[in-house]
Amino acid sequence: MILKIAFRNIFRQKRRSILTALAMIVGFSLSSFTIGLSDGAYSNIINMFTRNRLGHIQVHSTGYLDKPTIYNTISDYESIGETIQSNANVEAWTPRVYAGGLGSVNEKSMAIKVVGIDVVRENQATNFDKKVVEGKTLTETASHEAIIGIGLAKRLSATVGNKIAFFSQAADGSIANDEYTIIGTIESGDDATDRTTCYLHIDDAQDLFVLQGRVHEIVVIVSNMNSIAKTVSALENSFNDRDIDVSPWQVFAKSFYIAMQTDRKGDAISRFIIMFIVAIGVLNTVLMSVLERTREYGVLKAVGTKPSQIFGLVVSEVTIIALVSVCVGAIIGTVINYLFSVYGITYPTEITFGGMKMKTLYGAVTTASLVIPTITVMLSAILVSLFPAIKAARIIPAKAMRIH
Amino acid sequence: MEQTQDKRVIVTEDVTKVYEADGIPVNALNGVDLTINKGEFTALVGPSGSGKSTFLNIISGLDTPTDGKVFLSGKFLSELSSKELSDFRRDNIGFVFQAYNLLPVLTVEENVEYIMLLAGVPKSERQKRVTSMLNSVGLEGVEDRLPTQLSGGQQQRVAIARAMVSEPDIILADEPTANVDSKTGSDLLEMMSRLNAETGMTFIFSTHDPMVMESAHRLITLRDGKVETDEKK
Repeated sequence: MILKIAFRNIFRQKRRSILTALAMIVGFSLSSFTIGLSDGAYSNIINMFTRNRLGHIQVHSTGYLDKPTIYNTISDYESIGETIQSNANVEAWTPRVYAGGLGSVNEKSMAIKVVGIDVVRENQATNFDKKVVEGKTLTETASHEAIIGIGLAKRLSATVGNKIAFFSQAADGSIANDEYTIIGTIESGDDATDRTTCYLHIDDAQDLFVLQGRVHEIVVIVSNMNSIAKTVSALENSFNDRDIDVSPWQVFAKSFYIAMQTDRKGDAISRFIIMFIVAIGVLNTVLMSVLERTREYGVLKAVGTKPSQIFGLVVSEVTIIALVSVCVGAIIGTVINYLFSVYGITYPTEITFGGMKMKTLYGAVTTASLVIPTITVMLSAILVSLFPAIKAARIIPAKAMRIH
Repeated sequence: MEQTQDKRVIVTEDVTKVYEADGIPVNALNGVDLTINKGEFTALVGPSGSGKSTFLNIISGLDTPTDGKVFLSGKFLSELSSKELSDFRRDNIGFVFQAYNLLPVLTVEENVEYIMLLAGVPKSERQKRVTSMLNSVGLEGVEDRLPTQLSGGQQQRVAIARAMVSEPDIILADEPTANVDSKTGSDLLEMMSRLNAETGMTFIFSTHDPMVMESAHRLITLRDGKVETDEKK
């Protein structure tokens, strides 16, 4: 009967109930939208950062991540690669050689980072060829060609067709010195990388630095980002008896990961502010409703309704409105997030996050975009109904019934 | 009060009630000693502000006395918690208010049924009692209407049915005829008088209505919070 009264009270004060529900629906939808947009943006950024560049997992010789040197290499990377590929979660893997040196184009010289890549595997793993913005990509066989970042091309005033000369120290202590033809420029999405990096065919890089058959890093791409931890653990078990480290992106891109987590905390604060404003609105309408019905609560108590039942009545009314609002909000939130996941928000100019550039921010329909607003709306609705409910339950019948 | 003295349903001993009105103490009741026996049809009369409604509120546990003791059906009300008082009122007291005070969102049938629901009376028994009670007060055919769809007289009949349906020891009626025309008032009074005779329930009215005073078997006059006269007819 208490539930029946609660239901009918909701319909009795239609305008007020609709206003209360609207506040909750708007709160839910906004909260869902901010979560969907931030989840979409983060997933986009993480994807750009990992899938298109660094990989989801990296494999190094022990200690390389802490102290990268040209000497600390993985020797039989092909057999390690086969082991990696045998894991069902792995979509692709690609080996890389890293070294630093002096790069010169015409009269300009500067410190550069040389990355030797397996062109076929790199294209499969990180879509390397799709990032070439001018000229062409590296050929599948070593041809003394180089691709340089667009920032580096600017700094060296280099154009496609120029020669780039390297001076460095090889792994055997000899002087590494050779010249390559620039056949293209690349835009990786990370300005810092593009300002310093030059890509060579892995065979050319191994010849230059005397690293035959050796690499510094194996980049692994998994088919589902949720399986990263599981894959890392499986690969660690596979390489148990070797001096090899397997690291997820959260480890080798720690500062980026921390920046993302910090940014997410900022989102949580904005969601809290949204829900706080909604909660104040709901509290106001519920308090008004209790105040208007003081006499009725007095009668209910006079005829034998227990204080706990009156408390339950007020909380039930708010909970029913919150449940309906959550359902409507979930539909609206999902539709909005779906539309933004398809069309996104395009900015007039590129924005940069963690060094990653993007022009369009896409949303996402995620479990969190439904679960978090549901919990927040329900909890805040129940919380704000507690005070009016206690007030109603404590009413002194004689005093309440004197109110007209 | 001893449980064995079960003829006495209400006993008040030196009951005092002091209200604060804008910081000034107002004595609404000033040492009221009264005993009301089972089955009495009693009218509390007196000018406005004499303490009639306050007395009804205090003997029903809707309000607490500043001083003194109230025993109702053998229970010392001050010893009961808020929850126990709710249960006690539900099982022992029926209320008829001047403004009817029906629950506006419940139909006539549901208003009458509500107290039995609180008491956990089985559904079949509830339906039987609701039908019988609505017949007794002459409200057949309006079971599914909301209070707002009824006349004042009809609403007061529903209130009487609600008060009596759980077969309480006492019916407390605060100015039950004040908001209805004299014909309806007379009908309601006749009905309550009949129900008193048929069921033996105790009826206590606070009233200004000469008709009620005439029908009452006992007339208690209050003035300035004190019992001025107490006549049995």
